[in-house]
Amino acid sequence: MRLYFLVVSFFSGLVLSDCFESIDSSRTVIAGGSLTEITYFLEKEDKLIAVDITSNYPEETKNLASIGYVRALSTEGLLSLSPTLIIGEDDMGPPLVIDQLGVTGVDVRIVPEEQTVEGILGKIRCLSSILGVSKSSQDQKISLLNKDVNKLSLLVAKNLKSPKRVMLILNMQGTSPIVAGQGTSGDSFIKMTGSENVASSFEGWKPVNSEAIISYDPDYIVITERGMGSFADIESLANDPSLKFTSAAKNKNILTEDGMAMLGFGVRTITAALKFSEIFSKE
Amino acid sequence: MHVKPLVKNLLRFTNSSQIYLLGALLIAFLFAFLASISLGSFNFSVFELFNSSKTSLHTTVLYEIRIPRVILAAFVGASLGLSGASLQGLFRNPLADPGLIGVSAGAALGASIIIVLGSSLFPGFIFGAFILPIAAICGAALVISLLYVFTRGFGYQGITYMLLVGIAVNAFASVGIGILTYISTDSELRGLTFWTMGSFGGASWYLILPAIVVISLSMFWMIPSSRKLDLLQLGEPEAYRLGVDVKKLKYKVIISSAITVGVSVSLSGMIGFVGLVVPHLVRLLGGVNHSYLLPGSALLGAGLMMSADLLSRILVQPAELPVGLITSAIGAPFFLWLIFRIRKI
Repeated sequence: MRLYFLVVSFFSGLVLSDCFESIDSSRTVIAGGSLTEITYFLEKEDKLIAVDITSNYPEETKNLASIGYVRALSTEGLLSLSPTLIIGEDDMGPPLVIDQLGVTGVDVRIVPEEQTVEGILGKIRCLSSILGVSKSSQDQKISLLNKDVNKLSLLVAKNLKSPKRVMLILNMQGTSPIVAGQGTSGDSFIKMTGSENVASSFEGWKPVNSEAIISYDPDYIVITERGMGSFADIESLANDPSLKFTSAAKNKNILTEDGMAMLGFGVRTITAALKFSEIFSKE
Repeated sequence: MHVKPLVKNLLRFTNSSQIYLLGALLIAFLFAFLASISLGSFNFSVFELFNSSKTSLHTTVLYEIRIPRVILAAFVGASLGLSGASLQGLFRNPLADPGLIGVSAGAALGASIIIVLGSSLFPGFIFGAFILPIAAICGAALVISLLYVFTRGFGYQGITYMLLVGIAVNAFASVGIGILTYISTDSELRGLTFWTMGSFGGASWYLILPAIVVISLSMFWMIPSSRKLDLLQLGEPEAYRLGVDVKKLKYKVIISSAITVGVSVSLSGMIGFVGLVVPHLVRLLGGVNHSYLLPGSALLGAGLMMSADLLSRILVQPAELPVGLITSAIGAPFFLWLIFRIRKI
């Protein structure tokens, strides 16, 4: 009987996760760009006192205190802000710091992430619950996205019939282009547009050699704005020897977008996916 | 103009078995070159391409992507091997390495600044692909001038002094790279990390041609000094009394290594252990006289680097392994063995 109780409480713990209202969210610290973005979307930014350095959207985040890099937080630095609530994603760390924070009685929440449209909506719901947004205004916020979500799902259905072959580049300076392989946020983003990731044979972000890029021969190349580095424009990027001989470069099908907008899986990712799936749906 | 003394030197101070060895190294070099241009993630027969005159995607891959890359690897390998050999001769220290005088660290700092701050410092910069190599060369040049100032024109103080300055410069540059690592975003961090592990992935004709010219010139400038390096092994005062202008020799070896290493690092990132290990292999094979050692190290360095790059391209294709990982994986055990051997003596 006791065992049964333990099992039940264990699983109910999993189901409940971290998405329930915090007792005191008056001094909230967020570690994760997409969570910050969603907090502004929910208009709960008055609760924020500090964010990490990946939280660079919207512009106003610059006025908040910075807690540094999401994977290298400092216990003392965080506590000096006397936060009541700390919200992050799986990548928040190091684990020791998270444990220490839990011991001090600060409410620490890890918001689950799934890199799909539903995942983003789930993240919005989870954050709404934590920050105590009422059910009605939560529904009202999500309904703002419904138009885009519906349009996106129609386009995805259309694109999936003959999926475009897409390659997503993170950075291409001083080395071979670093390409999104399986299991990366880039791969999830490409799939969100109903397209096929050409880099299907390896996992993670890896430098890919120019010959392999030519044999992939992607229809479209997507690159993050910062990844363009010192390339002045798309034109000069298309002339780089590693991309020059692909169909994408020949047909000027090279697209750029802000890295966090594409790969952060916040509200803007839906907009970016919609924008790209519109482009990919054209013949 | 330097070819004549080069050949004269080679014949006069090299015994016949060493000439055969150099021949064998040349054959190994050519073999590595052929293997490198015929293998890659794009599968086609190179020999069929040479026979047919029609242009296809395969010819483009071969001439625009694979061959420039292989040639860059050869030149970088040769320049690292050669400058390693001449620096070991100059410092009379078997553990000297082009990294030791701080030039690679300076180049790395220059490149890191561009990778991390480039897009905000030079928005839409006109030099495009050239900006990173240029910054790396500026970093290397800065280190050389620092060395020059601190050692008062590479003279006066003993050679140990220069090693210590090199260590300080290295430490300073790693602080700079550390700070840049700290402030970089995820994507810049990845670029930076992969760059410091070395890659020939960015090779294209217009980038490598200037490098080839500079590296060849400074190699031809350095190799004729081989006899003087032999005499220097007796000690600086002894070499001076035998008529070697030691200060000029130091100047020549350091400037030419700095130039070749700076240019190499700027185009390929940090590639460890080649400059250290290759001269030792060449010495083990056939002797210690520099008229054999310098050309031998250049040939073996080039051959090994092409082979390492070939491995980097085909081991995990279509992705690629940073070439510096491969050279260090081979070099590190060898280095340990070297230290162990020195301790025994």
